[in-house]
Amino acid sequence: MSSESSAPPVLSTPAEHTFFEDPTPKSVIEAAGRIQRPDDELFEVYEIARTATEVQQRAWKRIALQFPDAMLPDAPWVVGALSRELDKLAESAQETEHKPSREDNTKGQVDDKNKVRDRGQNQRQRLYILADTSYSACCVDEIAAEHADADAVVHYGRACLSPTSRIPVLHVFTRQKLDYEAVLASFETEFPNKAQKVILMADVMFQEHVAPVCELLRGKGYTRVVATEIVHDPSGTIPNRQLLPHESRTMAEADDDLHDYDLFHISTPPSSLLLTLSSRLASLRIYPTPTSPYTTTSSPPDPSATPSILRRRYALVIRLATASIIGILVNTLSVKNYMSTISTLKSQIAAAGKKSYTIVVGKLNAAKLANFAEVDGWVVVGCWESGLVEQEGLWKPVITPFEMGLALQREEDRIWTGEWWGGIEGVKNQVSESTKTEGDSAQELREGPYTRPEHVEGGVSDEESEPPVFDLRTGKLVSNSRPMRVAMRGSAAADAQPNGDGGNGQGLGSFSLTRRAIGEVALVKGEASPGAEFLRSQRTWQGLGSDFNQDEEEGASTVVEEGRSGVARGYTVGEDQQRA
Amino acid sequence: MVNFTIDEIRQLMDKPTNVRNMSVIAHVDHGKSTLTDSLLAKAGIISTAKAGDARATDTRTDEQERGITIKSTAISLYGTLPSEDDLKDIVGQKSDGTDFLINLIDSPGHVDFSSEVTAALRVTDGALVVVDTIEGVCVQTETVLRQSLAERIKPVVIINKVDRALLELQVSKEDLYQSFSRTIESVNVVISTYLDKSLGDLQVYPEKGTVAFGSGLHGWAFTIRQFAVRYAKKFGVDRNKMMERLWGDNYFNAATKKWTTKGEHNGKQLERAFNQFILDPIFKIFGAVMNFKKEEIATLLEKLELKLPTEDKEKEGKQLLKAVLRTFLPAADSLLEMMILHLPSPVTAQRYRVETLYEGPLDDEAAIGIRDCNAKGPLMLYVSKMVPTSDKGRFYAFGRVFSGTVKSGIKVRIQGPNYTPGKKEDLFIKAIQRTVLMMGGKVEPIDDMPAGNIVGLVGIDQFLLKSGTLSTLETAHNLKVMKFSVSPVVTRSVQVKNAQDLPKLVEGLKRLSKSDPCVLTSTSPSGEHVVAGAGELHLEICLNDLEHDHAGVPLIFSDPVVQYRETVAGKSSMTALSKSPNKHNRLYMIAEPLDEELALAIESGKIGPRDDIKTRARLMADDFGWDVTDARKIWCFGPDTTGANLLVDQTKAVQYLLEIKDSVVSGFQWASREGPVAEEPMRGTRFNIMDVTLHADAIHRGGGQLIPTARRVLYAAALLADPALQEPVFLVEIQVPENAMGGVYGVLTRRRGHVFAEEQRPGTPLFTIKAYLPVMESFGFNGDLRAATSGQAFPQMVFDHWQQLPGGSPLDGTSKVGQIVQTMRKRKGIKVEVPDVSNRTLEELDYVLAIPTGKHMKYHMTKSLPFFFKRWVCFNKNAQLKPLNTFDHIQAEATRSASVVQYEEERKNRR
Repeated sequence: MSSESSAPPVLSTPAEHTFFEDPTPKSVIEAAGRIQRPDDELFEVYEIARTATEVQQRAWKRIALQFPDAMLPDAPWVVGALSRELDKLAESAQETEHKPSREDNTKGQVDDKNKVRDRGQNQRQRLYILADTSYSACCVDEIAAEHADADAVVHYGRACLSPTSRIPVLHVFTRQKLDYEAVLASFETEFPNKAQKVILMADVMFQEHVAPVCELLRGKGYTRVVATEIVHDPSGTIPNRQLLPHESRTMAEADDDLHDYDLFHISTPPSSLLLTLSSRLASLRIYPTPTSPYTTTSSPPDPSATPSILRRRYALVIRLATASIIGILVNTLSVKNYMSTISTLKSQIAAAGKKSYTIVVGKLNAAKLANFAEVDGWVVVGCWESGLVEQEGLWKPVITPFEMGLALQREEDRIWTGEWWGGIEGVKNQVSESTKTEGDSAQELREGPYTRPEHVEGGVSDEESEPPVFDLRTGKLVSNSRPMRVAMRGSAAADAQPNGDGGNGQGLGSFSLTRRAIGEVALVKGEASPGAEFLRSQRTWQGLGSDFNQDEEEGASTVVEEGRSGVARGYTVGEDQQRA
Repeated sequence: MVNFTIDEIRQLMDKPTNVRNMSVIAHVDHGKSTLTDSLLAKAGIISTAKAGDARATDTRTDEQERGITIKSTAISLYGTLPSEDDLKDIVGQKSDGTDFLINLIDSPGHVDFSSEVTAALRVTDGALVVVDTIEGVCVQTETVLRQSLAERIKPVVIINKVDRALLELQVSKEDLYQSFSRTIESVNVVISTYLDKSLGDLQVYPEKGTVAFGSGLHGWAFTIRQFAVRYAKKFGVDRNKMMERLWGDNYFNAATKKWTTKGEHNGKQLERAFNQFILDPIFKIFGAVMNFKKEEIATLLEKLELKLPTEDKEKEGKQLLKAVLRTFLPAADSLLEMMILHLPSPVTAQRYRVETLYEGPLDDEAAIGIRDCNAKGPLMLYVSKMVPTSDKGRFYAFGRVFSGTVKSGIKVRIQGPNYTPGKKEDLFIKAIQRTVLMMGGKVEPIDDMPAGNIVGLVGIDQFLLKSGTLSTLETAHNLKVMKFSVSPVVTRSVQVKNAQDLPKLVEGLKRLSKSDPCVLTSTSPSGEHVVAGAGELHLEICLNDLEHDHAGVPLIFSDPVVQYRETVAGKSSMTALSKSPNKHNRLYMIAEPLDEELALAIESGKIGPRDDIKTRARLMADDFGWDVTDARKIWCFGPDTTGANLLVDQTKAVQYLLEIKDSVVSGFQWASREGPVAEEPMRGTRFNIMDVTLHADAIHRGGGQLIPTARRVLYAAALLADPALQEPVFLVEIQVPENAMGGVYGVLTRRRGHVFAEEQRPGTPLFTIKAYLPVMESFGFNGDLRAATSGQAFPQMVFDHWQQLPGGSPLDGTSKVGQIVQTMRKRKGIKVEVPDVSNRTLEELDYVLAIPTGKHMKYHMTKSLPFFFKRWVCFNKNAQLKPLNTFDHIQAEATRSASVVQYEEERKNRR
């Protein structure tokens, strides 16, 4: 009977989205059901030998192994294999102690090594598995590693290669096999013209195949194919990649101007990379690799959709341009310079007359962000790959620091070329520029484009207001997009005069104790705090009735109402005998 | 040259009883601007020779090129009554001297620009309605009349283009009289249909002098009063009595020398007095001049005591006719006289207009100031539109002083449309830099402007988008926001050719939305800048302005796109339920359609979120059959807190309900702004909250838990309630000669048009066809029609209503509607498949459950789940449950293959 229910029962519960979408990543389910791989394959994939040598050489003692969710099932095997390998190395090292050192190192280093080895005999390396990354699998989880007091982290799987600040990292990209014939065939159909300028690039997992494929292609007559190699520089023209020198590329051509190059990417790149590259290169072709058991991406992004994704990002930028309160969302605890980025963002937002709150919520989801109803939009500080937050059902938009920079620009300067960047790198130099322009505009506003007319009788005596901002999204004027503007100006111009209409005589310089009027909210430099203002004007529920608001009629909240009574099978409400 | 000075005008302004604010309104091409010319010529602003051709109030080049008015233009004139005697004829209001100030606004006639008419009507008290003799009362005549009556504006009528009737149609005198009286009758029908009873009788009567006849092109016009004055002397009777006799069934029996109301005397047909005394001389002049009878002309001129200037005597044919009639019956004189005598002064008008103008209580200081038109009262000024200045990007705020005096340099409170007294939202304080007098395309500086006048203000344009209230009084409420008869339903998206020009486009959009009262600019969630206009022509003009004037950079425009609305056609087939992410809160909702009448009432502002809850509930119960308790429990309107969707609380005794209201309302605003089907705004949907269960701890029922949940349950409720799309529909009125009617029908049928009225205009071969035409099908309609009727049909299209898009369910991708939805979703860059009902209910029933691993699994399933869910949960036999044993801290495994079956029967049995 269970399988034959055709119609949904009344009051059926649609499962909630989060539950439906993401609580346990799909990859885990898939990983759970997959076949065990042969040991030698795993040995290759996880580069056990290289890892062990590296660990041995750099004398790390406590090593944290960080796995993405898809690879977690292999973690115990990796730990076992790695410790066996390390043991083997230690033994062979002991053997070599008796023999003359094979390495031609300087004496100091040899001494150093001896010491290490001495300790190593007493104390074996300890391996820890880190799972459940705080933010995203592509970043190194330094905090978790520090919990284990680790000397170093070995990061498995694809990585964003964002520089870390505290702990050395060894990246194991987990090599994947590649069918060269298929790649070449696909390349030839994509680029029939052999003189085409093409950059060959691959996901880190396939990086080792780039050079051989490039050679094969040159053999086929493609003379202007350029290969890439990995560098740890996310802010490069192609993030984390560097073009290999080749005779077809003259030295005169600068590295950052790649506009006449097409790109051939082996395996599907993450959407943020796609967006970044789409404006920097002439075109993007993708060779989709078959889903391997080690990848996590569930739905590969479609490169043809990039223009429309970029347009949607632009719409978000416009939404944030008139936001009055912006939340700075900390989505990393390890990317280098994240603290300084937060502070530059803060000053940038303050310079634009907006209010910012810094918030850490762990892994992002719609429910967490919607708890802050006051916040009009979010800017996420994280690694460049996780900066693109495009979840379904976000209450307020989430944008990257790069986009924030655009949103804070004045409309007269804002240009959207389709250029895009998801990370925090490169925020800094923008800041100085935009604060400068903001300063100019503030100056201009203060002086006013026209000479202020002398006071004429009959008018109101209040201070003149700032003109409202035109909201491009709704086509209306928004007056509260810069709530802190007045405060800023007030502090700049020391002659803070008491506000005429509110009757609140406490100016800025007043230190005397005054009683706060009923219903008045906290003031920051003479201006109501945006958060408090939100509570006062936007929230209809402000808690149970207060003893202090006597003039207000008894709030509905404090009136005692008769509730339901009865048993769970059916309650009755009031006099109503009908069971509800 | 100009025969008055600004100083003279300024002096007249202090006498509000001698001010007349009036707009010229009519159907397109009935001759408003041409008629206005003759008034301007009289004032010396343009030369008499040019009058009729210059259309001096069409100040823009495209207006001159296209021959239509696009923007309304204001101009101030100086008018004098010939003698003190005439003052006696001003009924019901005082005046002071024979000099009058006339503030005139020439408005556009094309429906697409009728928002300009609305803006003009707001600042005036009287309207000169121009009607074409031949075409009669057309759709736009009716629309503007209706608008003016709603604004409590008194109309007078001029029947224009009489020369065409004489020259082209060669009608007889009696035919002409019949045609006149038919036209007047139809005007009066419109007036009495939309009459506001508190205004008294506003119908127009030729015998009272509220109807004029004439020709703007030739510069002549007359009222019966003018002839009555002439004949009163001759017959030695009172001129008021004479006026009555010169219209209607009144005859002068030459034999008995007596007046009679019978058309026959001794079997002989008598000639109607109107024909005999008024039309006869005019017909004679026409006959003489057009047949080149020089001598007859000379005798006629002598008889009428007319002296032509020498250069005019040389003329022949039409030119001579023009000269003679202009001397005989100068249009400006009769029009000015009619306006001065019959239109109300601001003092008179504001007394009854204050109720419809002011939002606040009618006994506060501001209302009293408006009522008395008191120049010394608190300043109350309504800005009805923005007029571009020669300084690019700056605007004059154009408006009317209703109370107090506005001066250069005065600091005022600028209250935007959303301002509510006591709050700071939409309130600005700013000094007015200069005040100016609008004189057609030019402005004249003026120091101050007292109540009752029309003014241009410099320096406050940054604070107002389109309209707003200016005041010096802190407690002043807003003057009512204008309601337009057109809606911006045709949209096109705009993008720059070069990315570097984007700032200029943005600036241009800002200016565009200021410069036009109706146009809407916005940015869609898919990142397109969208411009919405009332019709294709309106949009074309706006985009042209945007490209060449406001932005000044090369732009790319998309094809016109229609904005749809999402709605529901039935009641939710079952109660939709959504649980919050933490599974501790549940919302139960049902969607059902709202009555179309109620949706219209909300859209027209009759019922709104700001109304008093009790009176609104009563109104809804009485007029729309709502349950009073339901009506009192309306949580909010949406989208944008004003739209025609309602959220109604139908729960009983739910704890903490008020606490989550804000969150649910937020979710509702969100869902109604971007509906479930294609992210289009919703319309005409009512959502009932059936029940709510909440977690006892406040922390677990915050916005984060409830806003997305509310949105989801609203979506589910709407999708379960037979969702549908609504498309906007134009009302088309087509004037076409009989022989071309076939073509019109052909084009209409091809475009899903639906003809509902077809009538012949009496006395002409012209037919008027009225039809409904979906806006989507209207693109290129004009061109098609022109081709099919060889240019003989003239359509006028105005947005009329929303109609459900026929052709299947939007959820079915193979249906026509489904395909529209899919292309729309594709354009917006969202997932092409609509999250249809099965996706949200049946599939979501495919539970994803976190089952604790290990041996306790069975225990949990059998014990706790039935307890929590009040229903049995079974797993399919082939469901694979593989516990993860590698890591103990991953305790949960999810599976999608579980399904839920509710043993309804079993529960019933238990009861």
